[in-house]
Amino acid sequence: MSAPLELVCPAGTPAALRAAVNAGADSVYLGFRDETNARNFPGLNFSRSELAEGIRFAHDHGARVLVAINTFPEAGNSGPWHRAVDSAADLGADAVILADIGLMDYAQRVHPQLRRHLSVQAAASNPEAIRFYHQAFGIKRVVLPRVLTVAEITALNAQVPVETEIFVFGGLCVMAEGRCQLSSYATGVSPNKDGACSPASHVRYVDHGGKMISKLGDYTINTFAEGEPAGYPTLCKGRFSTCGRVSYLFEEPTSLNVLHLLPELAKAGVRALKIEGRQRGRAYVAKVVAAFRLAVDAAARGEPVPETALGALAEGGRQTTGVYEKVWR
Amino acid sequence: MPPLGPPPPLSPVLLAGFLVRPLPPILLQPVLDLAMMAIRRRHPGLFERFSDIQNPLLVIDPVDLPLVFRLDADPLSPRLSAVRDAGDLSASATIRGPLLTLMELLEGRIDGDGLFFSRELSIEGDTEVVVALRNAIDSVEIDIIGDVLSLLGPLAGPSRNAVGVAQGLFDRAARDLQSLRAAVIAPALSQGEFQAARLRDLEDKVDAAARRPARRPAQKGGRR
Amino acid sequence: MGGGLAAAKLTMGPVLFNWAPEKLRDFYFRLADEAAVDSVCVGEVVCSKRTPFFVPYVAEVTGRLERAGKEVIHSTLALVMTGRELTQLAETAGSADLLVEANDISAHALLAGRRHVIGPLVNVYNEGTLKTLAGRGAFRVCLASELPAPTLAVLGRAGLAELEVQIFGRLPLALSARCYHARAKGLTKDNCQYVCAADPDGMAVETLDGKPFLAVNGTQTLSHTYCNRLGELQALEAMGIRHFRLSPQDVDMVAVAGVVRGLLDGVESVADAQGRLADLAGGVPFSNGFFHGREGVRFVDPALP
Repeated sequence: MSAPLELVCPAGTPAALRAAVNAGADSVYLGFRDETNARNFPGLNFSRSELAEGIRFAHDHGARVLVAINTFPEAGNSGPWHRAVDSAADLGADAVILADIGLMDYAQRVHPQLRRHLSVQAAASNPEAIRFYHQAFGIKRVVLPRVLTVAEITALNAQVPVETEIFVFGGLCVMAEGRCQLSSYATGVSPNKDGACSPASHVRYVDHGGKMISKLGDYTINTFAEGEPAGYPTLCKGRFSTCGRVSYLFEEPTSLNVLHLLPELAKAGVRALKIEGRQRGRAYVAKVVAAFRLAVDAAARGEPVPETALGALAEGGRQTTGVYEKVWR
Repeated sequence: MPPLGPPPPLSPVLLAGFLVRPLPPILLQPVLDLAMMAIRRRHPGLFERFSDIQNPLLVIDPVDLPLVFRLDADPLSPRLSAVRDAGDLSASATIRGPLLTLMELLEGRIDGDGLFFSRELSIEGDTEVVVALRNAIDSVEIDIIGDVLSLLGPLAGPSRNAVGVAQGLFDRAARDLQSLRAAVIAPALSQGEFQAARLRDLEDKVDAAARRPARRPAQKGGRR
Repeated sequence: MGGGLAAAKLTMGPVLFNWAPEKLRDFYFRLADEAAVDSVCVGEVVCSKRTPFFVPYVAEVTGRLERAGKEVIHSTLALVMTGRELTQLAETAGSADLLVEANDISAHALLAGRRHVIGPLVNVYNEGTLKTLAGRGAFRVCLASELPAPTLAVLGRAGLAELEVQIFGRLPLALSARCYHARAKGLTKDNCQYVCAADPDGMAVETLDGKPFLAVNGTQTLSHTYCNRLGELQALEAMGIRHFRLSPQDVDMVAVAGVVRGLLDGVESVADAQGRLADLAGGVPFSNGFFHGREGVRFVDPALP
């Protein structure tokens, strides 16, 4: 018997927030409806009043709200990012999730009492980097980049003075997050600056006699035969040709799912488990959160983890344990 | 409870069945207007989520119906209408899928991305508009029947026609549950052409009634 | 061109590709003997598995560069994950007599309080971050490729540190724990057989419609295009950016440096320099879109309205 790991769940909309809380989320993470967060998608995210209401709802139900302000402020235009931190503090958010050093400095100076987490976008992949963020900016928790195996996470946790949070389900970047300019190179829209990777504004799906062609900007990212499970046209999940051979060079359309690794992850010393998917609907949120709630509680009681079939929610209908197992590299 | 009597035993399946009948699209307009009015009243923030989108005009194409829906998601004067085919609509995007799937999506009971991955749902055109629509409808808890019924009570005069027409259609649908259910599955659609002539007559008759709600003050001054 | 540009400094960035140790040694020897560059970066940035092969040559190479009057910068690993990698990094950072370039925030942490360089793979997007890093000893910062002109101008005006931008070579776009060179050959990173050595300029990646798109270099992904900011040098200088980085490709880099130096010194026109650079690039297309706030892949002719 041990304390259950904290389940950190995505909310792209107020309805998703309620769905996450009702399904058993310990914390919900979300962002404002602008470029200050890394899911700046059309129609998504929270206004100030929606956040206020969301925080009230979450707190009434014993859940926390973490506000992601995890893009990199534009030089000469830090206003929107500073205001986002101010609003999170004023509205009573339980923490902000930050990636930019300058913004961490601002948050620490202006709102010292506001708890600060380090976003995965900061790509702190080793103890030295994590100690830096902790010592310089009072970071209390680090969301680990998706580059470490379970063994490496275990070793890391023994050396750092902060909580760690890791991704357990959903879309996965195969590149080190916050250090990827692929989308920016192809579309001019930058995950780091604009908060969108492979933005919908540049995506086109073309039906070609039952075959679906997905394009990003000027580039064909994939073609799916009739009935073949599809994925998002993110550059790193596309089919490319190298040495005359067409393949998923970087990664297949797939979703991370390490439900069955939860007992191991608990032993690795992580504090919180993160479900990806602020851009997904509330049906996804409800289902995934419920499955992980059951699993986390069972693992805490030392019982076998109940498996829930989540394949239908996975990109390309495929699931992977990703980098947590070394062979992935 | 709505004051016009107990709510008809409507379910999305039933409504789907009702819609799947080979009705001329114009007959649906009062219901669609009512539904839009209900959704806007209950979820005022919904169409705000389109404010960054240029020309948010979508075609929603239930592949098992002989008609398509045209959604003009203009934040100030959104409008939903039904037409025979999307051929002459200059929509920015099209969403295609079985009606029941689309209904479940509308009510947030099913994961849109998952449907897309499994190819049950397909999209074409400006993906940004589709994503905005999905996020907008997902941002609120739409319960289409509940939303519509919630309007039946406090409605003011000009909308009574719409309510009357809708209520009539609902009642008729409710009387015929079994055949409607069958209609969802069976290719009743193929009878559409056969019935078209008879229905055109009916269409003319309700034309006036159907247009009135479209001229409600709430919808004035918006689109050309 | 004006005297401002003549005062600009050229840096030869680290060789990102897996060149044979002897080829790498000879590259540096030639830079020492012939190249019109002021600073030279030495050290493995992409994959720690490659590091041991060049170790025997480092002292010889840095000695010759220093005797030739070049500033030698020791570049460090971009994605530091394992204990072994961190130990190696700490060793480099702990050598008080070396000028070190941090390509991961952990290197900056280890170098704090000492003069050091921040490489382009550490995110510096605004004056707040620049100020913090400069306050901890970063006296020069090579900025990320995707920053557009207005951002560069703000950072230049801030006057917090010497600024550098890449002006030639493939753009570093992404890093991963996974090795795509190995994956493309049906291998894993642990058992990679160093297949990346077969592609000294990166492995060509084409889209499904046959368009050249990216270049894979082990765990790193680069642009297919070579960045070319010859047409933007004057604008960059006017913003207060005085250091220009050439990222080594498998072309005659001494000649590339010569072209840029000639342009900076005003002995060559932009048009002539562009022509000579195109000859040297051997048909690889150029890009400068990031500077102009466009897709990075694009080449915008700054002479056009």
